[in-house]
Amino acid sequence: MQSVTKDADLSKCQCPLIVSNLSVKRSGDLIIKDINLSITQGEFVGIVGPNGSGKTTLILTILGILKPFTGDVKIYDQGPGSKNLHGRIAWVSQAAANLPNNIRITVRELVRLGTMKGFNLALRNSKNAEQVNEAINMVGLQEYADTGISKLSGGQRQRAVIARALASKAEFIVLDEPLVGIDRKSRNALLKFLDELTHQTGTTILMVSHDITAVRRSTHRMIYLDETIQFDGNTEKFPDLDIIAELRGIQPVHEDIHTTVSSDCQVCAEEE
Amino acid sequence: MALPPFGDYILEVVAPFLESVAPYMPGDIFPYFFTLTLLQRALIAAILVTMVAGFLGCFLLTRNLALIGDGLAHVSFGGIAVGIVLGGMGPLWYALIFSVIAAVFIHELQSREILTGDASIAIFSTGMLALGLVVLRLEVSFELPLIGLIELSPVGITNTVEGYLYGNLYLLNPDDLDLIVFISVISFAILFILRHGLLATTIDPLAAKIQGVPVRVIGLVFSILTAAVVVSMVKIIGALLVTALLVTPAATGQLVGRSFRECILYTQLFGLSSVLLGIYLSAELDTGGGSMIALVTACMFAIVVISKAVIKSLIKRNENLN
Repeated sequence: MQSVTKDADLSKCQCPLIVSNLSVKRSGDLIIKDINLSITQGEFVGIVGPNGSGKTTLILTILGILKPFTGDVKIYDQGPGSKNLHGRIAWVSQAAANLPNNIRITVRELVRLGTMKGFNLALRNSKNAEQVNEAINMVGLQEYADTGISKLSGGQRQRAVIARALASKAEFIVLDEPLVGIDRKSRNALLKFLDELTHQTGTTILMVSHDITAVRRSTHRMIYLDETIQFDGNTEKFPDLDIIAELRGIQPVHEDIHTTVSSDCQVCAEEE
Repeated sequence: MALPPFGDYILEVVAPFLESVAPYMPGDIFPYFFTLTLLQRALIAAILVTMVAGFLGCFLLTRNLALIGDGLAHVSFGGIAVGIVLGGMGPLWYALIFSVIAAVFIHELQSREILTGDASIAIFSTGMLALGLVVLRLEVSFELPLIGLIELSPVGITNTVEGYLYGNLYLLNPDDLDLIVFISVISFAILFILRHGLLATTIDPLAAKIQGVPVRVIGLVFSILTAAVVVSMVKIIGALLVTALLVTPAATGQLVGRSFRECILYTQLFGLSSVLLGIYLSAELDTGGGSMIALVTACMFAIVVISKAVIKSLIKRNENLN
């Protein structure tokens, strides 16, 4: 595995992702505007924000699926969707919910698809097989390698899809809501795994989630997106829930809002 | 249009083998499929078509396109009818042109989301079937620039036409076999090369696109292949019964297979055994070949479904069935 130490990376100061003045229109409406963002190698970045805040739009633009209205995205100095990026970027969709159930396909077969790159559709060589096994081991699905994906639990499926992304040896992994539909234990294990991945291999991870607490407890840096970037910084400096509520203009429904909040936090504490 | 005699090449290679196994074949008429050149051709064509259809069917099922084969078969019947009336190159060539054009249109209508779901299949299949039925009864003459006078006389539903609708193994001529071999070999090769790409674009088109897999091109090529394979099947099993070989063996294979690879292999097993059993029964009982093959595939599916359910309920009583 090609691991880049952080020191070497800093001296070069090569940002894998640079977004400048980006705004994106979908069906005539401006969904996100004036996004400026740069992510350094090996960072674990969480993007949070309410529904409809443009999280997915931002990600799809970075990946080159949507076109920017104004502004510019550069990944490893390439435009999104460039040929040179094939195999360097991997995408993990909300797969636990989206994997088709009507296909009899094993974990190994799914992960193997990750090694496909561009027009090179032939997958059968020993190097790929090794990569596939390694990826399956990394996410801890060895026992299930030859089990059909339709028989897996939500968390296991999510890990299988992440293994698919890992099999490509991508340096930049984008995850869209990976925490949806998986149980508490898998969720914690997954976040820990992603964190280790960034530290051990220098992989850059961009994760979109609406689960603010989970993101806050795992990522290095948080971005709060609501049409534009409202907060971008170290996770520890992420504002309190009250401040976010104010930011989003959520009015308290009950007079004694604080009791509700504190009981909520107990639940959170128990969960972790 | 004439192709190189692909059929004869294969016949030369396979005929000695067929003749050597002929004595072990059961029945009174069935062994002739291994000894008479005319019937050897039919047998070879049926086997080839079944193999390709099963392979293709596995992908059709995963893409939720089970009915596109049926739709394109109706379209190719329209082409065949036009071909029979106009003459010139063989009707199957007309079918190929009609069916490929329809497949491309259906694919574009779906991928551009102009019409969602299978509405576009419904429109094309009924429209072209209707064209075929009308043309077969039309009596007109008109003058076309460059081509000259065209006179259409009503053909009606003759035996030949019925052969295309329900399939007739005895009506297969050497030219048909050439086309069938040509389509089958090329389709099989392309499917084999594209198999991972097809799977990737089915499971997660977006992830595949980011990996650089040419999602659109693969989708288009797959549609064209489907159209071509359907045309190659029409003379064997009949336009109305194409789905029986395209979808049923693949669906049966999915019941048994645990991985995609196993599904493909089981599909071949079920497909080939259905065809051989179907030809045997139709020869001995003197029923139509196409309909008997279709019936056997359906029976095989039913047997597998029921025995699977029975086995599960006997052995794994405490497990949930899904």
